[in-house]
Amino acid sequence: MRMLWVAVVLVLCALGSLTIGARALAPSVYLDALLAFDPSDPAHVTLVAVRLPRLMAGIIAGAALGVAGTVMQALTRNPLADPGILGVNAGAAFALLLGTSLLGRSDEAMVALLSFPGAALASIAVFALGGGLRGDVGPVRLTLAGAALNALLLSLVSAVALVRQETLDVFRFWVAGSLTQATTRPLGAMAAVAALGGIIALVIAPRIEALSLGGALSRGLGTHPRRVQAGALLVVTLTTGAAVAVAGPIAFLGLMVPPLARLVSGHNLRAEMVVSAMAGAALLTFADTLGRLLMAPSEIRAGIMTALIGGPVFLWIARRIRPGAAT
Amino acid sequence: MRGALLIILLVAGSVAGLLWGQVALAPGALWQGLVTGEGPAALMIGTIRGPRVGTALGAGAVLGLSGALFQTLFRNPLAAPDILGFTSGAGLAVVVSIAFGLVAPMPLVAAAGGILAALLVTGIAWRRGHRTPPLSIILVGLGMGFFTSALSNFLMTLLPQAEAAEAQRWVTGSLAARDWGHVAQVWLPGAALLLAALGQARLLETLELGDDLAAGLGLRVEAVRRGLAATGVLLAATGVAVAGPVPFVALMSGPLGARITGATSVAGRLLAAAGAGALVLMLADLVARSALPGIQLPVGVMTGILGAPYLLWRLSREMDRGKL
Repeated sequence: MRMLWVAVVLVLCALGSLTIGARALAPSVYLDALLAFDPSDPAHVTLVAVRLPRLMAGIIAGAALGVAGTVMQALTRNPLADPGILGVNAGAAFALLLGTSLLGRSDEAMVALLSFPGAALASIAVFALGGGLRGDVGPVRLTLAGAALNALLLSLVSAVALVRQETLDVFRFWVAGSLTQATTRPLGAMAAVAALGGIIALVIAPRIEALSLGGALSRGLGTHPRRVQAGALLVVTLTTGAAVAVAGPIAFLGLMVPPLARLVSGHNLRAEMVVSAMAGAALLTFADTLGRLLMAPSEIRAGIMTALIGGPVFLWIARRIRPGAAT
Repeated sequence: MRGALLIILLVAGSVAGLLWGQVALAPGALWQGLVTGEGPAALMIGTIRGPRVGTALGAGAVLGLSGALFQTLFRNPLAAPDILGFTSGAGLAVVVSIAFGLVAPMPLVAAAGGILAALLVTGIAWRRGHRTPPLSIILVGLGMGFFTSALSNFLMTLLPQAEAAEAQRWVTGSLAARDWGHVAQVWLPGAALLLAALGQARLLETLELGDDLAAGLGLRVEAVRRGLAATGVLLAATGVAVAGPVPFVALMSGPLGARITGATSVAGRLLAAAGAGALVLMLADLVARSALPGIQLPVGVMTGILGAPYLLWRLSREMDRGKL
């Protein structure tokens, strides 16, 4: 059972994330902290209050983005679809920034909810502008629509940030998410939302597969394209929104994970979703741990790590598909 | 002669660029300052707005020219150096030189980065035995843009706060605090490259007939294409060196220039694109620095807000024509 190996990798990445950090912890501490938590012991506090939330955030955001990427790629039949590249991350992050600047930092949970309308608007916009409503989504037009959306939101963010004189903090958040602020995020609620998105994804997976057979054939099978598209966009909204609320915009994870998952799952969308969730969680946790190791005692943001790995992956995939030559 | 319209717009825009800003000058004061060279207006024009407007005009012109060159070369209105990742490659090179404290003239650094990005993009898109479709180059170029911005974000995390803020402003594209040195830095190589581009206009015109026909007419197609691409990359890098990788100016200028002047010949379209680029960048900067009281936005923010909707509109147009 190859799926099991992915689970093993995820567990190893999780253990790595818990053990590696600025403060070295004795092996006995892990069991002690679990069985007899002592709030006055700094080692216990480090583990439970700092590293555990960080790991949870990595797992939630990574799994959610893995599912989001899988659904986007299956819906658009485009191997370059990713919440970051197509601007859905940017939509959610923009709504979060707007919320923080209007409502202030007092109500983190309320502000976090804003990431969902942001993700919804952005995913509908990019899908429509990329030609999704005409049932004909080419990789170039979808990627260009995403690039335009990203550029527009970046410009608006720059304007707002400069006006409010909090530029550099805002930009750091904007260009790349990270797991550093996991403790202040509503992890439980976002885990629930991401799980809901995952369940809907599993339910509609056969419909998305039917849709990808093409118009006449899928209608013959009783598929309603608009309903399936709406369902898929709902999944993308819930998962991406939750991921951004937990970790900020993490790009390229949704691009890299589905092709990796297909190596394990083959062409079965449900299995691919499950593997993508695990692989996404493992990859983001790994990227975060690596980012902490490389620059210790400082760290590289997890979103920058995924972008550094994902950029060449994008180029490799882009080289293999031949737009214009095919259609 | 509709070319005159573009010239009138440029002159009027430049006067507006000198008059307006966070502090508006009276036309009389501008005139007096220009003629006598004395008074507060002369000081403001001589040290702040003059070089700024001059740099904007020059950088916009070379970017617009570069855009039109690539759009004609690839026969695709989306194939501009800012979409193809060349300007962000040039921008990354400058961030690298800031991060590692390299002492080298900025135009050279930007040119090296732009050329490297162009070679990488065409090299990655190239496959043995296949003609590279323009859409493939666009896709790889978009990826190069993503990757270079990831790299510059990474480098910025290594920099101390003040330098990171400086680098951030730089990659957005900014014309703040330009001096006459910047004006010379863009106008001198820009003029030489403009002549080089116009010199190749006839070749480009033949190339537009199609590769096979051009080769039949005795054109060494690949050599001509390389020469044109090199000119285009150097033009873009010249603009980036003084203004940063301002987005979408190169993309918009070609079609805008052709619309304003109605030019049809290749040389005419190239000149029109240069004029339109100068106009767009200068007006975008004027709005960016004077729209909000007390705050000067970097010009890249404004061209992003203008250019992204244009790109989306252009995208739907190309889709309607079935060309994408």
